[in-house]
Amino acid sequence: MSQKLSDLLLALERDAVLETVKGRLGTNEDPLRVLEDCRSGMTLVGERFQRGDFFLAELILSAEIFKDAAAIIEPRLSRARADHSRGRVLVGTLMGDIHDLGKNILITLLRAHGFEVKDLGVDVPPSVAVEKVKESKAHFVGFSALITTAFPNMKQAVTLLQEAGLRGRVKVMIGGGVTTPEVRDYVGADFQTTDAMEGVAYCLKTTGGK
Amino acid sequence: MAGEGMSGTERLWAAIRLEKTDRVPIVPTLLAEPAAHLAGITRAKVAADNALALDAILQVFDDYGGWDSIYPGSYTPQQLQASNVNPMKVRIPGRDLPDDYMWQLVEEEILQPQDYDRISEMGIDGFYYQDYLGRISSLSTDDVNREILALFTTFQRFLTECQKRKVKPFFMGNGMHPFFTLSLMRSMVGFTKDLYYHPEPVERAIRRMTADLIAHQIPLTKESGLGTWLFTEERASGYFYPPAVFERFWWPYTKQVVDAFWSEGLVTIFHLDQRWDKNIPYFRQLPRGSFILELDGNTDIFAAKEVLRGHACFHGDVPAALLSVARPEDVHAYCRKLVELVGDDGGFILGSGCSVPCNVEPGNFKAMLEAGRGARG
Ligand code: B12
Repeated sequence: MSQKLSDLLLALERDAVLETVKGRLGTNEDPLRVLEDCRSGMTLVGERFQRGDFFLAELILSAEIFKDAAAIIEPRLSRARADHSRGRVLVGTLMGDIHDLGKNILITLLRAHGFEVKDLGVDVPPSVAVEKVKESKAHFVGFSALITTAFPNMKQAVTLLQEAGLRGRVKVMIGGGVTTPEVRDYVGADFQTTDAMEGVAYCLKTTGGK
Repeated sequence: MAGEGMSGTERLWAAIRLEKTDRVPIVPTLLAEPAAHLAGITRAKVAADNALALDAILQVFDDYGGWDSIYPGSYTPQQLQASNVNPMKVRIPGRDLPDDYMWQLVEEEILQPQDYDRISEMGIDGFYYQDYLGRISSLSTDDVNREILALFTTFQRFLTECQKRKVKPFFMGNGMHPFFTLSLMRSMVGFTKDLYYHPEPVERAIRRMTADLIAHQIPLTKESGLGTWLFTEERASGYFYPPAVFERFWWPYTKQVVDAFWSEGLVTIFHLDQRWDKNIPYFRQLPRGSFILELDGNTDIFAAKEVLRGHACFHGDVPAALLSVARPEDVHAYCRKLVELVGDDGGFILGSGCSVPCNVEPGNFKAMLEAGRGARG
């Protein structure tokens, strides 16, 4: 049965995944197990993507299915277990840039891989982002950019993190089509990518997952 | 620029025809916002008035010593909505955003599933003006007419100003691939779901839009007398979709379009943003010399050149990140590499990867021009 759910997700069979989820919850199966099976499906999707057999389109579709499945499962999880996560991530688009497409895809994928994600929104002043890092004790903070005017603000956020003594305890990731390794160095980030799945892989690796 | 034997236009067309040139032709994609930045005008001003946008572009052209052909860029974000180029909601500096912001589009599911068949029935223009435009803007018919007149008037002045400077516009006709237009109208996530779960209506709409595009753009392009038109796609490449999607929804229509233009002797400038590495071999199927590939720095232009050497001209691709945050010597070195490896046998036009970024470093922009001027084609 569990095999089947992950395979259905891998085959992007949206309706079948949701029906199976509902069916299994209906038999009073442990919701956490159902959620874990969906997550294994996402791991398989991620592996295919990294092998080059899946494309961004399939990542997006599977993550959307996962989101719908999780919306059915999560209300059934007890509070403590719902909080069980692989790590806390803050993601936002900094001041000067109001784009959210790439950011939203990253968030959906991170959640599907078991991370607790807080969306900071768009056009976020660097000082506010840093304040949120402080409050949330996040393990990672990710900045997304579609336009180059966001770079100086990313750099400023890193400087502010340093000044607040927080830089050591949070990994800074940047991403979005305009970013490059040179921009990572300019900003002083730990990680850069134009591929959301690589970002997820980085978080998994850093937190000791596979 | 001693020793130059060709005019800008001769140089450009030699490159398009895959012939050698006295030096590499240079055509930066200097649109209104980076021009405003280099000319010291606010982004809000050029976003509100396309005549000022043209002034800014010409001022930079003159201040920086000119180049071989001018990329049309005198339009405002509102005019892009009014002329059915950007079918999305837009936030404009000075109106919805601070003055020094870049104008930006909002990704939202505006197009609904049942609209695909309305497009197939009404044609894209009918659908756009009778229904869709009201969903993304408050432009009235009078507003639309006024904006289109402003576009037209400024373009006439652009032509005169080009003549004074003995150069020509890079193109005039300008169309988006139907696949791209639909992705923007429906939003990328919604469109992707439709492609996988309800493909037939999408396919019907693309078929109709392709016919509309050919019927509208060929006469315009012929009338311009320039011989080129711009065909934009930024969301169909192998970065986004597998070959099965590309082969069903994109490639056949693309071939149809390029063939129709080429049968009239018109060259298609493909504006291809994002990573096209996996798709480049398909372009060998198009007639030699019938198109130019404009790449944005994400596709490996050096590898692409090897696949299409002697078959198509390339334009680009100095990355936006390099122009905005690197040092002039880095920009210079990258341009030299382009000229040597992509331009070695002709068939290359030096330019920015997509638009010059709106916060370009003046020294970096200059470095790009100088690297091109000092290089044999
Ligand atoms: C499609 C596109 C458009 C479309 C729609 C844009 C929109 N929705 O706003 C259209 C044609 C309308 C358009 C218009 C313009 N565009 Co445009 N556009 C693009 C393009 C090709 C792709 C953007 C896209 O849809 N990506 C799809 C999403 C899913 O990808 P993504 O954001 O990169 O996110 C992925 C990853 O990067 C990752 N990710 C994202 N964030 C993060 C964060 C972290 C922490 C991690 C780990 C991962 C991660 O996850 C996602 C999935 O893998 C980019 C090129 C590029 N290289 O990005 C140019 C680009 C953004 N555009 C550019 C420009 C200049 C413009 C225009 C100004 C042109 C003009 N004057 O007409 C306008 C301005 C509009 C605007 N900015 O809103 C420039 C911006 C340059 C600059 N100054 O910064 C770019 C970079 C192209 C270039 N190289 O010059 N554009």
